[in-house]
Amino acid sequence: MMIGDKLDPRKTFGAAIDELAEKDDRIVVMSADSGGSSGHKAFMKNHPDRYFECGIMEQGVTGIASGLATTGKIPIFCAIAPFVTCRNYEMARNDLGYMRQNVKLVGRNSGFTYSDLGATHHSLEDFAIMRMIPGMVVLAPQDPTEIRSAAKAMVEHVGPVYMRIGNPAMEVLFEDSEFVIGKGRVLQSGDDLTIVSTGTTTVDAIKAADMLKSKGVNVTLVGMPTVWPLDKELLVECAKRTGRVMVVEEHYVYGGLGGAVAELLSEECPVPVKRHGVPHVYAISGPYADLLAYYKLDAKGIAETALEFLGK
Amino acid sequence: MKEAELLRLELTAYRCRRNILRMIEAGHHGHFGGSFSSIDIATALYFYKMNIDPANPKMEHRDRFLLSAGHKCMTQYAVLAERGYFDKAVLDTYGSLGTKLPGHPDMYKLPGVEANTGALGHGLSIATGMALGLRGTGAKVYAIMGDGELAEGSNWEAAAAAAHHKVDNVTAFLDNNGLQISGRVTDVMSMEPIAEKFRAFGWAVREIDGNDMRQIVDALDSLPFEAGKPSMVVAHTVKGKGVSFLEDTAACHFWTPKGDELERAKAEIEAKISALETAVKEAE
Repeated sequence: MMIGDKLDPRKTFGAAIDELAEKDDRIVVMSADSGGSSGHKAFMKNHPDRYFECGIMEQGVTGIASGLATTGKIPIFCAIAPFVTCRNYEMARNDLGYMRQNVKLVGRNSGFTYSDLGATHHSLEDFAIMRMIPGMVVLAPQDPTEIRSAAKAMVEHVGPVYMRIGNPAMEVLFEDSEFVIGKGRVLQSGDDLTIVSTGTTTVDAIKAADMLKSKGVNVTLVGMPTVWPLDKELLVECAKRTGRVMVVEEHYVYGGLGGAVAELLSEECPVPVKRHGVPHVYAISGPYADLLAYYKLDAKGIAETALEFLGK
Repeated sequence: MKEAELLRLELTAYRCRRNILRMIEAGHHGHFGGSFSSIDIATALYFYKMNIDPANPKMEHRDRFLLSAGHKCMTQYAVLAERGYFDKAVLDTYGSLGTKLPGHPDMYKLPGVEANTGALGHGLSIATGMALGLRGTGAKVYAIMGDGELAEGSNWEAAAAAAHHKVDNVTAFLDNNGLQISGRVTDVMSMEPIAEKFRAFGWAVREIDGNDMRQIVDALDSLPFEAGKPSMVVAHTVKGKGVSFLEDTAACHFWTPKGDELERAKAEIEAKISALETAVKEAE
């Protein structure tokens, strides 16, 4: 992968799992009529005996995955984000969380990357609900290199994980590096404001930081590919140093990374926190780039919101 | 099976009923009706059928049991205690703060519990996954389901998946006692004809009297009913079976004994135990 390349997140994810499965025969892939479109075509061909197609039954698949995990398998279940988080939520809570089973749920086409399919297919609450399951790790890789490294970290982590990935081709932002669950990465340092971004919005947050710099505003930009558990140490250090924190995410302003950061800082380092995401409504439908602009989650919107937050 | 062996199993089932009453006495209440209707099946599984080792509850390739209708947890606790998974003194902690015997089973609190069940409609999926994962090892998976929980749609997702994947090392017992908390299952939400529904989903189905030990054992001896198909035993049972004044009542679903009810229940069970002990001796 070369910085600046644009790659399909689903194919990147599927290829990573296929590669991991070559070396680890505990990995099995579950499908709710979702495997091929989750990037698993190579896995289906290479490991047909470890591929369980169940049809469109996310509740059933989550329970079956739990049962498989009790026998030592590592089931990976990827489908459209709302259907592997909302539809099967009680199974995720009880059969994976409460039972502490080593199952990996992956929500693809997350946020509103299924932009024009409408609000039934958007997932703007998945961070909030999944981080409420004790023991559940929530990941949102920010570029194809992180999708690949997060897939590895997710499989190596013993316990339930929810990872969300987007849909449109994602720009390679970083050099390959090891993914450490629970750790953010400081992408830029500045003293005026800390911007924390996760998942699909980081590419625009980086551009927004450049726009702000041209206006004389120097921000610390933190890329946070782990939504839960929080990188408390880094967040508190940044809050102390810059005095203000803005969180950007393709998620409702309530309950997601912004909510989690606000919860943390209100106790550990009370500073003004701006949660920048989607208002608590069923999002409108349309082309993805237009939706990002409409909800001010494109680079221009992020920069404008930061300036407003700073009173500039 | 010889008569004496059968009688011993019946005796064990009544000793397990005694264990359940011991828990109710300790906790002052509990999901009594379904525990008593399903105890004969659970006893046959743990004392006759399953390849398990109470001294090594995580034994590789052991058979698995899970209680989809997790509120019948006293059935599981009673059988595990009787089988020697834990000291019977633990039964006296039922209902107390921090007990290892919560009102729905917790696999991290008690040896021998394989799944955290209780939210209805989860068990058959988990059992199907366990059976898929154990394919080729010789291990079998057994689940007890409730008839009321059949209204949960997720059961039918699991039923379809188990048949589609030809999972024939899973057997589900439907504790078909005909009652749920609000009344007759057929009045609340009829899922009849149950046997035909499971057959249509691709299961091999047998109907038995689920409180008749001979019929339970015969069904267990015939598994899988058909190669390549999951097995369903629709076990017609009596809610509260064994305590005459509670049998076949929705009120005994969750029982808080009043007045001398607990003593009367204990007297009935002890009388049955004595009679079975005599019968076992005579048969031997």
